[in-house]
Amino acid sequence: MRPAIVLHIFRKDLVETLRDRRTVVMAFVVPALVYPLLFTLLGSVATDKRGELERTRARVAAWGPVPESTLQVVEQQARADVVDHRDSPPADPEAEARRLVASKRVHVVLLTPAGASGASIPIRVLADSTNVDSDAMERRVSRALTDHGAELLRQRMTRLGQDASAARPLDIREEDLADAARRGASFAAALLPYLLLVLVTTSGFYAALDLTAGEKERGTLQTLLTAPVRSVEIVAGKYLAVLALTLGATVCNLGSIALTLSRATAAMEGARFSLGLPGAAAIFLTVLPAALLIVALLMAIGVLARSYREGQSYLMPLLLLVMLAGFASFLPGAELSAGTALVPLLNVTLLVHDILIGKAGPAQVMVVWAVSLAWAVLGILLAARVFQTEQVLLSGEKPWRDVFSPGVRGGRGLTPGNALAFAAALLVLTFYASALVERRGGVATLILVSQLGFFLIPSLLWCRLFRAPLVDTLQLRWPSARGWVATLLLAAGGWSVGAVVWEQLLRFPGARAYSDWLGELLGKQGQLSLGMALVLVAFLPAVAEEVTFRGVVLAGLRRSGSRWIAIGGSALVFGLFHVNPYHVVAAFAVGLLLGWVALESGSILPGVLIHLVNNGAQVLLDRTPALAGWMRSPVVVVLALASTALGAVLVRGTRRAIAERPPDAAPVSLAAP
Amino acid sequence: MIEARGLSKRYGEVVAASDVSFTVSAGEVVGLLGPNGAGKTTVLRMLAGVLTPSSGDVRVAGRGTEGEAFELKRALGFLTGDTALYQRLTPREVLRYFGRLHEIREAALTSRIESLVSRFRLTDFADRPCGKLSAGQKQRANIARAFVHDPPALILDEPTTALDVVTGRFLLEAFREARAVGKAILFSTHVLGDAEALCDRVVLLHRGQVLDQGTVAEVCARAGAKTLTDAFLARVGDEVAA
Repeated sequence: MRPAIVLHIFRKDLVETLRDRRTVVMAFVVPALVYPLLFTLLGSVATDKRGELERTRARVAAWGPVPESTLQVVEQQARADVVDHRDSPPADPEAEARRLVASKRVHVVLLTPAGASGASIPIRVLADSTNVDSDAMERRVSRALTDHGAELLRQRMTRLGQDASAARPLDIREEDLADAARRGASFAAALLPYLLLVLVTTSGFYAALDLTAGEKERGTLQTLLTAPVRSVEIVAGKYLAVLALTLGATVCNLGSIALTLSRATAAMEGARFSLGLPGAAAIFLTVLPAALLIVALLMAIGVLARSYREGQSYLMPLLLLVMLAGFASFLPGAELSAGTALVPLLNVTLLVHDILIGKAGPAQVMVVWAVSLAWAVLGILLAARVFQTEQVLLSGEKPWRDVFSPGVRGGRGLTPGNALAFAAALLVLTFYASALVERRGGVATLILVSQLGFFLIPSLLWCRLFRAPLVDTLQLRWPSARGWVATLLLAAGGWSVGAVVWEQLLRFPGARAYSDWLGELLGKQGQLSLGMALVLVAFLPAVAEEVTFRGVVLAGLRRSGSRWIAIGGSALVFGLFHVNPYHVVAAFAVGLLLGWVALESGSILPGVLIHLVNNGAQVLLDRTPALAGWMRSPVVVVLALASTALGAVLVRGTRRAIAERPPDAAPVSLAAP
Repeated sequence: MIEARGLSKRYGEVVAASDVSFTVSAGEVVGLLGPNGAGKTTVLRMLAGVLTPSSGDVRVAGRGTEGEAFELKRALGFLTGDTALYQRLTPREVLRYFGRLHEIREAALTSRIESLVSRFRLTDFADRPCGKLSAGQKQRANIARAFVHDPPALILDEPTTALDVVTGRFLLEAFREARAVGKAILFSTHVLGDAEALCDRVVLLHRGQVLDQGTVAEVCARAGAKTLTDAFLARVGDEVAA
């Protein structure tokens, strides 16, 4: 894949899309206008109605022997007029009351059966709860009657010489613990996730359609296919254009919604909402993987259609699914759990909800982010696969049959697509299965099961599944003499890369707490014997993780045609498996070094040794505090860095010195997981 | 220069092209003729590397369609008759876009674009969105797009369809000039008059198979007809009518 070509396609598609008034209006103008207008209109209607009800006197009918004093209290306290007074109730009082309320002649009917007398007078309050006016007036009248009843009781007890306060054995006062800000956040948390997901979808909807089905309909996609561009470059350029537009619209509309909600809650009694820049950034980052997935699906489905109109009907079910996922924020009891965190889009809805009400922790954020990212990768791979199906691009009959038919592209070995699909599946498996193993076994079981069961064995099975020759894929070769010298230098100093990055990260808030937690976790290996700890913490991960990340993932990404995509991509995947953001960054830096060494040396063995020494040193440091102090001294760190730099330079080009068959004759695309 | 060797394309039970073979040499125009549904577009798409043949082989300037037909596409200019240009880009922007996709350096591309604008008389509308151009203007811009990387071979799929006489003649003249400088041109058309006037040889395609190929005179002689239209009708006309 050539970045320059992707950039040309991206730039052209973005310019062309932004010149389409319909797309710009639907993505930017309509949402920016609709939210304030909707809330202002609804708020104004609600306020007007509330004011009107406040000003209006209730129209009450009194049927039967309702006490006169009671009616006077209703007239005064409930601001009511008795407009229909009958000594005897009608034969069918409910039907008559319904008729009068419907004709707006009365709001409420007070009904006392004929002949009622004594110390307790029954009064039925008839109103229609489906009629806004009648319902509101019923509450006003009932409140007045309840207060009047309490007052009568107090008077009676006083007359009987009793303590009037005994008439109120429980003095109940309701008080809301939530302050105005929390009430406002709760209101926003119900609305914002839904609105965000829907607007991400609608923002990308027309652009994705225009650049897929629209281009097919106009014949320009075929013109593009005759140019020397790979289909993966086309899909990447188009994807980035739709994504840029979607994210741009999302940022604009997030601002619009936040402002609108802020004004809407200001009009509400006892509620206040304001989304600061950090909050908005957190929500944007949470929605980002959802946007990656939604845009991929919009493109994969959109390109199946042969015309713009057909595309609209294809994409409508996706919009409905997104709305359904977003609707979860309205549902009481819908919570982010291990199960719901797996469901794409629903997990984002629930996380945004939790962020807004201040319930989400860093662990939840990372889990949802990682799971959503895994889904997004699968979505992008699907889009890439669809874009490589000629029957789809050339508007053939029933093109989806070819998309999923096996053997469309034969051949042996791994591709960037299936390597990334493998990593995504492994990420989800590792997270959930390790939680299970952790609960049932100790630290030794956890390491053993995860390294063998989540990394080494799946990697070997994946190679077998895709008929990837192990020697070439995993680079099972003996390095040259110079390669070994470089490896020894790198192994001696390689630990310093992660250590230096880690030291810098500790300056950031939250990193120290994570470091302490990690130290505590790693300290558990202290329960093991030194030999067992070296095997489990150093040897096993060095072999299993190198086979997975510098073996399967790197081998697949190498076939993108770009060594930097291979090194950067495998390092990123390696980093993501460390889940915590600080650890991700440190592992990413180490992954870059290990990826570089694997490609330059043409062998997996240097990486295994560097990894082994790095982890082994960690075990020894935990058991020998004096050694830890010595290794953290500036002189040792500088020497280690120098050794690493020298090793990295020396390892360069050593793969040419060892006999190998070129495994990657032709670059292949991202698809075909 | 352009070589089709035993090209076949099947969609399940449907055979769109079967064992199609012919060549187009440098400095030659070959007409690919056939009724609707004969398989012309399928053959042209396979030659352009857009469709993968079920069997057979394609060579353009010595490059095949293995892998992603990447190098083959560099040697080829492809033009269709349905004037497929980006409606919201100007002809100048379209030329620059395709020039960049062909990885032409910016300085060389700028002078190449100006030369094409002048050669295909696009000056008056080179900065107007393609969506606002007439069919003739669009097709002139489109052929400039097919020439932007100066390919040695051209595949033209009904390029004069729905054009007025003046624009049609202008394009035919452009194709003659291209032939004169040694380009190999494969030209598919329904307008048999155009084929007779322009083509050095013709290939008659019917139901996905080559019925006949040779110079216009040879094809007419074998069909016992005086004109290409008569020869065409003699070979396929009755079946089409039926």
